[in-house]
Amino acid sequence: MKKREDRLIMGKGQYADDLEFSNMAHLVFVGSPHGHAKIVSINVEKALQVPGVVRIITGRDVMEHSNPLPVQADFKNPGWIWRLANVHAMDADRVRWFGEPVAAVIAEDEDKARIAADLVEVEYDLLEVTASVTQALEPGAVKLYDDWEDNKQVHLVFDFGDPARAFDMADQVLKVTNREGRVTGVPIEPRGCVGLYDRKNDTLEMWGSFQTPFLSRHNIAATLGIAEAKVKINAVDIGGAFGLKIHAWKENIVALASKLTGRPVKWMEPHRDFITTGPHQRDVYWEGEIAFNNDGTLLGLKAEVVHDLGVESTNKGIAALSIFPACSAPTNMYKWVGMHVEGIGVVTNKSFYCAYRGYGKDKGIKFIEAAVNQVARHLGMTPEEIRFKNFIQPDEFPYHQINNYVLDSGDYPAVLQKAMELANIDQYRTLKSELEGRGRYLGIGLVTFIEPAGVAVPNCQMGGITQARVLITPDGSVEVHSDRTEIGQGSEISHATIVADILGVKKETVHVKKVTSDFIGQGPLSSRGAVYPASAVAKAARLLKEKVVQCAASVLKADQDDVVLEDGFVYSSAAPDIRLTYQEFANKVFFFPGPRGLDPEILKRHEHLLDVTTTWYSPTTPESGSSYTSFCVSADVAVVEVDVDTGVTEIKKYVHVHDAGTIINKQVIDGQIHGGIVQGIGEALYECLDYDLDGQLKNTSFSTYLIPTAVEAPDIEIAHLETPSPFSETGAKGMGEAPIIGSKAVILDAIEDALSSFNVRVNDSPATPEKVRRWINQAMSANKGDL
Amino acid sequence: MTMLLNITINGQQRTFEIDAKQTLLELLRSQPEYQSVHRSCEEGECGACTVLLDGEPVNSCLILAASVEGATVLTSEGLVRQGQPHPLMQAFTAELGIQCGFCTPGMLMNSYALISGAGDIELTDQQIRKSLEGNLCRCTGYVNIVNAVKKAQQAKNGGQWW
Repeated sequence: MKKREDRLIMGKGQYADDLEFSNMAHLVFVGSPHGHAKIVSINVEKALQVPGVVRIITGRDVMEHSNPLPVQADFKNPGWIWRLANVHAMDADRVRWFGEPVAAVIAEDEDKARIAADLVEVEYDLLEVTASVTQALEPGAVKLYDDWEDNKQVHLVFDFGDPARAFDMADQVLKVTNREGRVTGVPIEPRGCVGLYDRKNDTLEMWGSFQTPFLSRHNIAATLGIAEAKVKINAVDIGGAFGLKIHAWKENIVALASKLTGRPVKWMEPHRDFITTGPHQRDVYWEGEIAFNNDGTLLGLKAEVVHDLGVESTNKGIAALSIFPACSAPTNMYKWVGMHVEGIGVVTNKSFYCAYRGYGKDKGIKFIEAAVNQVARHLGMTPEEIRFKNFIQPDEFPYHQINNYVLDSGDYPAVLQKAMELANIDQYRTLKSELEGRGRYLGIGLVTFIEPAGVAVPNCQMGGITQARVLITPDGSVEVHSDRTEIGQGSEISHATIVADILGVKKETVHVKKVTSDFIGQGPLSSRGAVYPASAVAKAARLLKEKVVQCAASVLKADQDDVVLEDGFVYSSAAPDIRLTYQEFANKVFFFPGPRGLDPEILKRHEHLLDVTTTWYSPTTPESGSSYTSFCVSADVAVVEVDVDTGVTEIKKYVHVHDAGTIINKQVIDGQIHGGIVQGIGEALYECLDYDLDGQLKNTSFSTYLIPTAVEAPDIEIAHLETPSPFSETGAKGMGEAPIIGSKAVILDAIEDALSSFNVRVNDSPATPEKVRRWINQAMSANKGDL
Repeated sequence: MTMLLNITINGQQRTFEIDAKQTLLELLRSQPEYQSVHRSCEEGECGACTVLLDGEPVNSCLILAASVEGATVLTSEGLVRQGQPHPLMQAFTAELGIQCGFCTPGMLMNSYALISGAGDIELTDQQIRKSLEGNLCRCTGYVNIVNAVKKAQQAKNGGQWW
């Protein structure tokens, strides 16, 4: 029984595009064809002539009728650069990236709005385009934000442990670099919503693909200048999100459009716009040195990671913040003496940087895992030998890592061991040597990592506080509310399982409600679903259970210790034949609370209300400053074959061993693993947003921005270990991002292994056939054709 | 320009007044009973709008409604019988070949055509994957979708199919 899935499979999904309201108007954005330009004038006369056009909103209207987008994260610290931009959801004077909206047409139907959008005439005065980080940081480069000193938005400096000592102690130091291309998460459903402003009450309600309704309410209310208490945001069925639907800004214009027209206004983003004006991620360049001893002991790291943020990254999205986990993640699961890491974020004329599965953790892990494997190759060790030597051991938890993370639990060596067994790694290594003699190039990649999961960060909207409510209705059914939207990652089924287990009711009677802004929390991001919301739900259910037991003891005239809640029945173990269904029980509590029903003392203590709202916060974050509460553990082994003539990589085998603590629902976790791994494969091999020097994005559709199809995706073998987290309510750890983190790293490592006889460094993703061919050619000319 | 279109959808004969430039996708989505047909890329790349046109899977975003006069269209709603999910649908939920659910109706229709035309011989992974190549999914990594299709074929070979 899978209530939500049964509903969706029967075609009863209610996605943003299915929303329909009486008297609803439709909004279509007009995007800039230029990467950087001044807006000289906007002429909407022709567009307004199109029959059915209701109104056209330009940046001028947005500036007149709404406030700037609120700052979502502020980390101004001595010694750090953290610059903030004062921007509106739509600018009146300037465009800074290809596709940036300059006007919004509202019409009776979408077709008319699209026709009119094509007739909006905008005169631009072109500005020099900053197409790369290098260009952006050149002295005298054109500034994207006039009041900034230069184009650097962020520069963070971290010293973890004692980096100077690490490098003093080291026998050797190896230089390492790593680059990854710009990508986007592209769920198949783009963003969309309906705004409904009520002029009589000055209230706003919205429905749509909101991944975090609570934060969207805060930001939309702030731009519209309406009290948050007068705004309600409702998440509908969401066709995938992966972080890309967290932050509202175009949605703010939809809200404004409803306010200005007095009508419900719907916006459904064309998929092309989702790519050109949607959140982007990755696009980093790492440069550093790793210090180690001759026996393979890892000691330290000095590294700098430069991020191409696109336009400002603190208002439309919050991904300047992702520079923190990028800098912290390289500590991974190993013991270190010290690290010095600098994270830099630079603005360029590209779409804005925002959350996408991984959120910087992936970058740090990919960098360090490639570096550790290069150290192993350099020392003539296997990748497992160097790891077994440096792992934090199972008896050392909770382990205070040098970067302040409090690692909760795990058995790192066991996870790696299991992955090697499952992958038959020795057999493939033998096969690799055999095939190499015949001109075929097999590569075996291996990475191990922890995923920092479940975030709470001060000084920003990711503060962590999370609320949940669990209640029993008079008919005995159970309602569950939280901030954890269902984006396809199994929120509903997980929460139903947790609550059903605690209350002893059947899962079918547990109704996990759609998320609205009424419940505090950041929603499912940073793999926090199984940590924060699930903990809040479990805590609320346990508190509710105490009430149920008290009331049941009173109704059944039994001892509290004897009350059993099981399979939807309430009874006393002392008199097991007298069983009340939850319905009968709830009915008595709600409608017959008087002295002949419940014990008067329960009524006096107000314990009869079968309704609990509570909050949950990490037990480790307040003391340690560890921004993550749980750390799930993974080992990935991939076997690839590289065709050295075409540069094409084929995945022969993929193994993933996982320890996400207590498993709430194995099928859900496996599904997350499969999906994340394939997304990571996309990043490793195919996906890259390609901006030219004029700031034009050249691949804006699925035919040019290539995500894996069923043909490229491999079969995936999974095994689980279950080491409970001591810090979450259920023992579960967050895990949604681990699969994407591991797969892109391991595929690239496998390619490097496949090309080991050419001595190729695979440090630039995606490893497209063209690039692989180039590496081989370069290596061969460097080796003067010895191969 | 408007015109009349006679078409059979999910076994029902319907007549619509359509705009000559309306796509089949737009027509289907304009009717509340066919909203499982999802709109995404609108250029025939993602497969979310897949329906069966005279038994063959097509991207309905690429078909002009005006061009399908007299044709038979099947959407995933048409697989439901007497309120019961089709065995193919049951296989998708049992195997969790569905996460966000957005690509699912298109996946279902393509899989339905594949299995219905496959005969008794068990489909291989590669056959299934190749057949679903035009239906993009960003959530499942396709593993459980392939498993669901296999399970559904077993159901069909066991006589549970319509």
